[in-house]
Amino acid sequence: MSGAGDGLNGREADARVAVEIKALQAAGRLEEARDRFAELVTRHQRRAARIAYHYVRDSADADEAVQDAFVKAYTHIGTFREELPFEVWFTRILINGCLDRLKQRKRREKWIAPVTIDPSGVERNPAEFVPARGPSPEEHVLREERRRRLHEALGQLPERQRLVFMLSQFEGRSSREVSGLTGLNESTVRVHLFRAIRRLRGILGKTSSKTGVRGGRVSRAAH
Amino acid sequence: MRLIDFVVRQGHLSEQALIEAVAGGERPAHIDRCDICAERAVAIGRWMDEVQREGAEAADAVFTPERLAAQQSQILRRLEQIDNPGRVIAFPAASRSERAAGGRRVSASWVGVAAAAGLVIGIVGGQMSARLNQPVVPVPQTADAQGAPVDSQFLDQSYDQSTISAFEAVDEMTPRLIQASNRNGG
Repeated sequence: MSGAGDGLNGREADARVAVEIKALQAAGRLEEARDRFAELVTRHQRRAARIAYHYVRDSADADEAVQDAFVKAYTHIGTFREELPFEVWFTRILINGCLDRLKQRKRREKWIAPVTIDPSGVERNPAEFVPARGPSPEEHVLREERRRRLHEALGQLPERQRLVFMLSQFEGRSSREVSGLTGLNESTVRVHLFRAIRRLRGILGKTSSKTGVRGGRVSRAAH
Repeated sequence: MRLIDFVVRQGHLSEQALIEAVAGGERPAHIDRCDICAERAVAIGRWMDEVQREGAEAADAVFTPERLAAQQSQILRRLEQIDNPGRVIAFPAASRSERAAGGRRVSASWVGVAAAAGLVIGIVGGQMSARLNQPVVPVPQTADAQGAPVDSQFLDQSYDQSTISAFEAVDEMTPRLIQASNRNGG
């Protein structure tokens, strides 16, 4: 995974591998091409899973979206341009795939009732019920509660706000990078981000659960 | 600092400005001078860090290393299928062309006739076999038919002695064999 720490080297390595895969495919050396592509999968898979999971808000859908995105990237690698980072190109494919899935789901949900609903009425995946190892039951419950609240709060955001928030906050992208990934104007990205944060802080509360620091508005009475 | 911040917020930064500053990594000069805004910026930064961590943990809890490994092998399997697609046998097209090449074609009307004949034969054969295989229903025998004694007196009675009133006139006109032989012999 090429994170912020990998920097330019990660991007260059991705671009080099992508170009090699293109050449191997053209030469008919498909097995080698697949082997090289597996490197890209390894590097970008976790990040892709996070993006897809928070975007489509369903683990099975996210799983399929990630698979489809990688398959599409492999089959269309001939259209990859070296001047664009592979990560950006791939993330666009992934986001478009997620968007299609959300549209499909909306159409489907008109006819089919949700499958798994927990007592609080939130759609959950059975995989989420598997307990984590390590923390005490109390910590586990609190953590699960925080995650559930965050998941719910993200679900209340409009799609674009959620996408922008996710890319800039969870992926640590700058407004310019998010603009490149989503095709949105940079100032639009900033507005979406601000609105998303303001709304989430309204839903989740402004108190940091660990530190207890309050990030409230400035009291006019203080001045 | 914007004029609106100075007028409405008594010189403090708006929440939007703070969020943009924290998210964008910029540090407005005002924060260095104002402890309140600096504290607000720190609080927003902590909140955002926490949400980021929670979000990453939530996704990682669902997509465990085992699940990612399974996902990767599934991706590679799909790629292999794309590179080596299974052979598709063009069954209908091939068989039609082979038949055309052979020069032997059965007229569609003959196929219809054969089907109708088969249907008729089937119906008739079915009916016949149903009749042949029909089990013989035993006729219930009455007690009279089974064990009633034959009237021996009726059997022993001479034909000549039996008279039916309706036929008496005819009987009178009919010459008897015995009488005829007596006449010839006598």
